Amino acid sequence: MSRLNMTGILRRSLIHRRARCLSALTALTVSAAVATALLTLYADLDAKLHREFRSFGANIIVTANDSKEGLAGDALSRVKEAVGPDADAAEFGYAVATTDRGTPVVVVGTDFAAVEKLNSWWKVDAWPSSTNPNAALLGQRAAEFVGDEQTVQLTFADRPITLHGVGRLHTGGDEDSRIYLPKEVFTTWTGAKPSVIEVQVQGDSAKVEDAITRLRQTIPAAKIEPVRQLVEGESRIVDKTHALMYGAVLLIALTVAVSVLATLSASVLERRRDLALMKALGGSQRSLMTMFLLEALTLALGGVVAGYVIGSVAAWVISQLNFHTATLPRLGVIPVVLLLNLLIAAVAALLPVRVLRGLEPAALLKGE
Amino acid sequence: MFFRLLMESFRRQRRRKALAGLAILLGTTAVTAMLALATTIGDRIHQELAAYGANLVVYPAADQLEVKVGGVDVKPVSGGAYLHESDLAKLRGIFWANNITGVSPELPVQVLGKTKNGVDVDAGAMGLWFDHALGNGGTTLKTGAVGLHPWWKVVGAWPQEQSTQAGSAEVVIGSALAQRLGVKASDSIQTSGQPGDGSQAMTLHVVGVFSSGDALENQIVMPLKAAQQMAGKPDAVRRVEVSARTKPEDAFARKDPDSLSPKQKEIWYCRPYANSIAYQIREAIPGARAEQVRKVEQSEGTVLKRISGLMWLISGAALLAAGFAVSAAMATTILERQAEIGLMRSLGASKTTVALLFYTEAGLLAVFAGGLGYLAGSGLAAWLGARIFANGEPAAMSSLLIPVLFPVVVTLALLVAIAGSTPAIRRALTTDPSVILRANA
Repeated sequence: MSRLNMTGILRRSLIHRRARCLSALTALTVSAAVATALLTLYADLDAKLHREFRSFGANIIVTANDSKEGLAGDALSRVKEAVGPDADAAEFGYAVATTDRGTPVVVVGTDFAAVEKLNSWWKVDAWPSSTNPNAALLGQRAAEFVGDEQTVQLTFADRPITLHGVGRLHTGGDEDSRIYLPKEVFTTWTGAKPSVIEVQVQGDSAKVEDAITRLRQTIPAAKIEPVRQLVEGESRIVDKTHALMYGAVLLIALTVAVSVLATLSASVLERRRDLALMKALGGSQRSLMTMFLLEALTLALGGVVAGYVIGSVAAWVISQLNFHTATLPRLGVIPVVLLLNLLIAAVAALLPVRVLRGLEPAALLKGE
Repeated sequence: MFFRLLMESFRRQRRRKALAGLAILLGTTAVTAMLALATTIGDRIHQELAAYGANLVVYPAADQLEVKVGGVDVKPVSGGAYLHESDLAKLRGIFWANNITGVSPELPVQVLGKTKNGVDVDAGAMGLWFDHALGNGGTTLKTGAVGLHPWWKVVGAWPQEQSTQAGSAEVVIGSALAQRLGVKASDSIQTSGQPGDGSQAMTLHVVGVFSSGDALENQIVMPLKAAQQMAGKPDAVRRVEVSARTKPEDAFARKDPDSLSPKQKEIWYCRPYANSIAYQIREAIPGARAEQVRKVEQSEGTVLKRISGLMWLISGAALLAAGFAVSAAMATTILERQAEIGLMRSLGASKTTVALLFYTEAGLLAVFAGGLGYLAGSGLAAWLGARIFANGEPAAMSSLLIPVLFPVVVTLALLVAIAGSTPAIRRALTTDPSVILRANA
């Protein structure tokens, strides 16, 4: 049998049995699409999940060894240099002042823009604008201990200051009992320097440990500790979600593979008569097998092309819906998807052929 | 006749039926497992997120302002308002009582005394529950601070609440303080009471050294009863941490309940939002103020939404893929039997009879394989869940089988099988029987 004839048979078989080829192609497209979508999502699942954990805020706390002395002036820029541009960091300086009603209250100097980025769970009526130097945020409990929330009068070591309260801050934590003001105003008023830097490093516990080691080398004069519950919890949850996805991927891949196998091998078995005729006309077992294989592999290839496109779109949609960020198609998944589909097609084609090997063409053609 | 055809079809074409059945079985297994995991993922992730600490905090409404920096009380408040420990049992009586998974009251006190070696002790201490049975007549909730702070680690043992007696108690000491005082497990600290304010002298037996990763390491931790005794304030509690299973906050949750219409308010009240649970706690405990700890609650909501959203979307994708794959398999099994259809038609069977026969076959297969798939999927989900979220406790039967899923999954299997068969049956019925029979001759 010449090569040309083989292509001829293949073409005719694909064209004339359109309905059955279509169902086989659908099955193979579905399997390729599912594999593409899941692998694409799976590939950057960890990064996406770690991004979500940003909302828990800082996971490393840098504290000055001597809280009176505070951190060195360039500490924040050194921290930022050590942890890289992806991480968020904000510095805080603390002092205890007295309100106009005589209640001691913790006042905190900070950079509002950095805090807004770092602590997304803070609920504020309005963030102070950078143009208003005396703007202050009042914790919801602290606000009950000042005379006027708009013009807040505080005293620190006999030095009075009048701040312009722009709104209340709700967190349900210690922040509720504090008053926040811009760092520059805080430093000129109290003379105290920032003593704490909160840093948020994205990634698993190994990455956080790495960042801590680097920070300890860069700033030896400070105590650098991880926020234990955050670091441990985050790694555990990401690992578990990852494992869950892995299980789901395997399960779905298996289901689709078996269904495709059923469809394809049925369509091969159905052609016993063709097979018998070809055998009777002198086709060898090998050339018959090659033909079936070629047919299945052509379909598988078609399935991969269509499935890759559909699967990439599905991954993009899922990621957009759930994480609100795009997952772009990954070329890296093509080899795996291709291999998977070709494997399914080859097994589906060869399994029934082995069963048919023993068949007597004469008996089959006679209609047994 | 109809039933005999049906029976024979199942008896004689075992291979074909087995293949289609297997496709349905695996499809329903995958879908059941994914749906079962997606519906229970909320509880499981909540359990994991419990490691982040309490998501609600209760304190006296008339409290003074705390002056805390970095977890350390700069100016410890003397006096101030307290909640009653005995009121906490009322938490078991609120509408969402079963969603409360942990309660941890605290009472800060000051320890003044001497160690066995004569070193002066002047340290903060915290009275807490350790293994407390909180009950309100009905079932009790075993809870305490250690459960709410799983990242606390102890060398030795946590104190036994029952061992607290008049004048003596078991305590654990923070690692930083232990180092400073040179105290280790099995040592004891003798405190002196101050005359006049009802505080008592006590012997504190150190049973362990703990680390928490924060400022509490500079303190002593003791049973709440011991702290109350030492401070001479029976039944007093300064602050209560509550861990509750909540529904992530949405726009409706942020509404002020008192501004809603009575009907809307009832809906708001009966949803497990952190805000509604806080509202119910305020109602139950007089003089209390309850707030959500936004850092934990809001972030948990985000993470929970993302992970369960991912599971639902993946389940949807699994459903779609299984649907396609199963309907392709169904179509193939019918296309294979065109000759049979031709024969039946030429022998005088009406189109309706033939269609009915094939639909019945598909339906039987779907119900049978779908039912098996439901069982297999439930088992698989339980196994996967246990493997991934192993908490040491065996899964309860109720979490293993989700009955609601059974009709859903079987209906889906039926729909997919019938939808998958329809084009093939229609094709076979519209073709002239003689053409089919001739093509096969």
